[in-house]
Amino acid sequence: MDLYGKMAATQDAKGKGEGGDQNFDYMFKLLIIGNSSVGKTSFLFRYADDAFTSAFVSTVGIDFKVKTVYKNDKRIKLQIWDTAGQERYRTITTAYYRGAMGFILMYDITNEESFGAVQDWSTQIKTYSWDNAQVVLAGNKCDMEEERVVSVDNGRLLAEQLGFEFFETSAKDNVNVKQTFERLVDLICDKMSDSLDSDPAVTTGAPTAKLTDSAPPLQQSGCNC
Amino acid sequence: MAADSDPESEVFEITDFTTASEWERFVSRVEEVLNEWKLIGLSAGSVNPEKGEYTSGTWGEKCLDINFADFKFYITHYFLKQECEKDNGKDKLEEDSFPLAMQDLLCMNNDFPPRAHCLVRWYGIREFVVITPGTNCEAIISESKCNLLHSSVSIALANSGCQVPMFVQIQQKWRRVYAGECQGPGVRTDFEMVHLRKVPSQYNHLSGLLDVFKAKIGCNLSPLPPINIAIRFTYILQDWQQHAWPQQPPDFDTLLGGEVGGVEFGKLPFGACEEPIRELHLATTWPHLAEGIVVDNDVYSDLDPLQAPHWSVRVRTADNPQCLLGDFLTEFFKLCGRKESTEEVLGRGMPEEEGKENSDISSALSKLTEPAAAVPISKLSVSNIVHSARKHIRRHRHTDESPLKTDVLNSVLLYLFPDAAVEKSSESSRNRSAPTITSGIAEQEKGPDSNLYQHLKSAPSDSLTYRLALCVCLVNYTYGGLRAVAHLWQEFVLELRYRWENNYLVYGLAAGPPDLRCCLLHQKLQMLNCCIERKRARDEARKVLEGNRGRERKVSGGGPSDRPTAEAAAGSTREVSPGKSWDSWSDSEDEFFECLSDQGEGEAAHAEGDKEGSKVKAEGRLHPQGNMTLLNSTEPLYIPVTQEPAPMTEDLLEEQSDVLAKLGTSAEGTHLRARMQSACLLSDMESFKAANPGCALDDFVRWYSPRDYVEEEVEDEKGNMVLKGMMSSRMMIPGNMWVEAWESARVTPARRQRRLFDDTKEAEKVLHYLAVQKPADVTQNLLPCILHAAILKLKEEESVEDIPSVKKSIQQAISQASKLLHTLSHDYKKLEDFISQLMALETAITQARSLKAKFATCEGGTAEDTEELEKFVSSLLEDPEVVVLGAGQGPAGSIIHRLFINSQRAALLSPMEDEFGLEKKPGGGSNKVPDFPPPAGREILLRTCVPRPAPYSKALPQRLFCVLMKEEFRLAGAFSSDTTFF
Repeated sequence: MDLYGKMAATQDAKGKGEGGDQNFDYMFKLLIIGNSSVGKTSFLFRYADDAFTSAFVSTVGIDFKVKTVYKNDKRIKLQIWDTAGQERYRTITTAYYRGAMGFILMYDITNEESFGAVQDWSTQIKTYSWDNAQVVLAGNKCDMEEERVVSVDNGRLLAEQLGFEFFETSAKDNVNVKQTFERLVDLICDKMSDSLDSDPAVTTGAPTAKLTDSAPPLQQSGCNC
Repeated sequence: MAADSDPESEVFEITDFTTASEWERFVSRVEEVLNEWKLIGLSAGSVNPEKGEYTSGTWGEKCLDINFADFKFYITHYFLKQECEKDNGKDKLEEDSFPLAMQDLLCMNNDFPPRAHCLVRWYGIREFVVITPGTNCEAIISESKCNLLHSSVSIALANSGCQVPMFVQIQQKWRRVYAGECQGPGVRTDFEMVHLRKVPSQYNHLSGLLDVFKAKIGCNLSPLPPINIAIRFTYILQDWQQHAWPQQPPDFDTLLGGEVGGVEFGKLPFGACEEPIRELHLATTWPHLAEGIVVDNDVYSDLDPLQAPHWSVRVRTADNPQCLLGDFLTEFFKLCGRKESTEEVLGRGMPEEEGKENSDISSALSKLTEPAAAVPISKLSVSNIVHSARKHIRRHRHTDESPLKTDVLNSVLLYLFPDAAVEKSSESSRNRSAPTITSGIAEQEKGPDSNLYQHLKSAPSDSLTYRLALCVCLVNYTYGGLRAVAHLWQEFVLELRYRWENNYLVYGLAAGPPDLRCCLLHQKLQMLNCCIERKRARDEARKVLEGNRGRERKVSGGGPSDRPTAEAAAGSTREVSPGKSWDSWSDSEDEFFECLSDQGEGEAAHAEGDKEGSKVKAEGRLHPQGNMTLLNSTEPLYIPVTQEPAPMTEDLLEEQSDVLAKLGTSAEGTHLRARMQSACLLSDMESFKAANPGCALDDFVRWYSPRDYVEEEVEDEKGNMVLKGMMSSRMMIPGNMWVEAWESARVTPARRQRRLFDDTKEAEKVLHYLAVQKPADVTQNLLPCILHAAILKLKEEESVEDIPSVKKSIQQAISQASKLLHTLSHDYKKLEDFISQLMALETAITQARSLKAKFATCEGGTAEDTEELEKFVSSLLEDPEVVVLGAGQGPAGSIIHRLFINSQRAALLSPMEDEFGLEKKPGGGSNKVPDFPPPAGREILLRTCVPRPAPYSKALPQRLFCVLMKEEFRLAGAFSSDTTFF
């Protein structure tokens, strides 16, 4: 958890210099994973820039975008890392799992293989991520109904089995893109407050410290305005 | 009434002239408080408290400040929290009933509660109010003051109609002398107390006390109503003769003596160095006696503890007994706060010492060249390092002044690097096979604890890191603290450097890239191993080549034979450019993945190529990809041998992701990021080109990113359906990364490419990181491992004793530790608290162990007895007072009896007689030595219900509680009288 705190802090300090998006209360690091060409990059572009292009260059390694959301009057900065889906990039991308608080695991409803790989990806998450990272399963390209090979029910069933939330999405038609991210953010927030409530040790521990750490920039912004 | 109707009277402040004096004001304040706390009127509550409810129930407490002039008092209300009455109405019917406190005086359900306010113990009351002088105020000692205070209480109670007894504390606080009063309708109870230093001889027995009681009641009825007597004698056992504690502290000297040497280094010590159970208090109770049944006077007593119908026991544990594990942890933790660097700790002593062997000049030289923390590693020449490392492996050092003695150091290093022993015996054979590391497999077999390291972010319990932590802990505690740790660390780093220079894998680390779930130090060590492995692979390839060359040379008759070695040396000594491994993509420096591999072969291929025209020989093939063929030819598509991506430790990874994040979210940023990460793609493309001469990007994509190659059935000119394939539209975007990379990719097999992972640089970075660690850094890095080890040790010890409460606490400790240790920067205050928690657990286990040893069943004991004893021991640890089933005759009782006998004998007889006596006289009364020591405390409780003050008054509860101790004599009496006609 503290990793985010630290990253948040560094990002924050940097932001001030650039005059960029330095104002936030929390920073969540999210990761989008899934087989190659299921639409991860498009999905992220739709969310971050509200744009769609049919052909993005296949991602090399790892890329990221930033989006700030508001929840309960708190600014949450989402640093969303987009990964290359090719087998060859697995070792490179899994190294990034450890710092992520949430995952969007994506498959393509018109591609059976990408759906079949979900189980594998889920295992990868369990192996390489923090214990309480949250996952949402997204079946992308639901606009291409005529080419569908994975039914909604099958998607939902698998999500249930794996204990993930589930959405069918379309980056092209902007279906459930925002919802997917918002749900993931909610899940992470719930988890955070859970661990705050359930364990007194945590209440005085790192998360609170982090909260206060990142609070000052907000106040400063108030002064600037 | 008139005032009420007059609106003007409300406007003015009402001055109450009745509270003119300080005293009156005080009394009215007391009344106010009683009102505030709603203590006026009938006191509600069940008629009789349940048996033992005073102990099992919870007690409430309310407190306020109250002033008498400028003298501060506390007024406190103590009450047993009882569930609200359902049959309240029933109680209310009896308007004339006594106050509850009076009924409590006679109630026998809660005599001698093990844990209660002294007034509860003396008077058996469940609710009362006490006025005590403020914290810094002097005690109320003069008689007039006492009386004044007492009468204030009396007035307040009468005025308010409060039925709760109220006390004032008088005399010095430590004497705990109270006077009090309880008022009910037509009845009053006075609580009086006598407190003396010595027991007057005429009251030193039951009969004397009965006389006092009778005289005080002053009842002239005859026959006198029966007096109920309850007696409790308490015996203290302090001398555990036959169960000699302390447990043997581990004998550190012999640790090193044994053949196996360092095996014992792998263990943390455990246990208390002193008896953790200080005293055992045996309370023998006669709960219900009538006058005349027992005789207890100045010459004879019937009160034999062995015959008491009721026994109970409590233990007093030693406060913070010294425990080994706790000591180790505390000392280790202290190191985390030290500021000194290794160099400061060890000074220049080490190199100088080595210099002594040589003459003056060479000593000066060796000062310059010997490795010490002061000399930056990059400036050391290779030969010197190897030389020194070798020397140090043989450990022929002058170590008179070194913090760690040679033999200790040797054993530690041998424990850490057990493979070095093998090497020592056959030093000539340098080609040791790689140590087989089985931790991966073993992990799954070891059960639930095996992945504990992931939760604690430590290291697997068989890893080098974990063992190092144990050694540092032991060395710190036993062999000289900070200096010894610094010394050990220096030697450890030297050994690692030696291994790096000589291509020996570091023993005891799981193979593969650094495990990010482990602590950073462990990752660094794994990283070093990765480097060594790569370097070995390169060196081996070179050796093969050298062999080939040698053969070639024989044929061709000589050549530049020293070239490969020179280059190899250059390769490993070249200056380390401190920079990110990351920017190697733009690095023009040529360092090859498998440099100098089959050049000859390449030349031969060229020659061949010339003959056969444009056809180039394929290189670096791994295996064919199914039965796929190249698009432009019938050649099968081969998967090439590729370079492995660079392993990363978490700090490198963070550094890298920071760099990537700094590029921002713009399109250029994205492009730049892709460029930065394209090194691996480019290398794969080059390898692919080399393995598949004449291939196209389409071919590469079919292998590398199959979903980007789309095949569909198309009708050709002749009308036949043909499978036509093409790259996906995103791969066709002009000038995209993939196309760009493909065009710039040369035809180079992986082994001739520039290294993606510069093992030399990375290894030096790791070694530098290790070398500059201060002892405090080392301990901080190892702290998760040592806590991991401590938890495992506690678990192991607990499983022997099986103490449910401790088991639960250990589980909680694990989850707490997991939270504390997962943060990047540890909170040392919290960790300190955590360590004290672990220490408390250790103490609890040693207490259980001690009690178990004391209450172990003898050979002849039945299974039931054993079970009963086990239950007894476990409740001793958890309850304040435990009933001994069967009193003196039960299994636990007889053991306690024997403990007392032995202790008595030890105190009064010589040891020889002791043994005989034990056999002959089990618990005999005629023994010349009594079985039990004189009781440390005697409590005698006398109760009756007689009319007072006149024979025609109501019969009311009377009670006298007597405490007889060596240096204290207390009579606490509660005498009720009928106030109707007086």
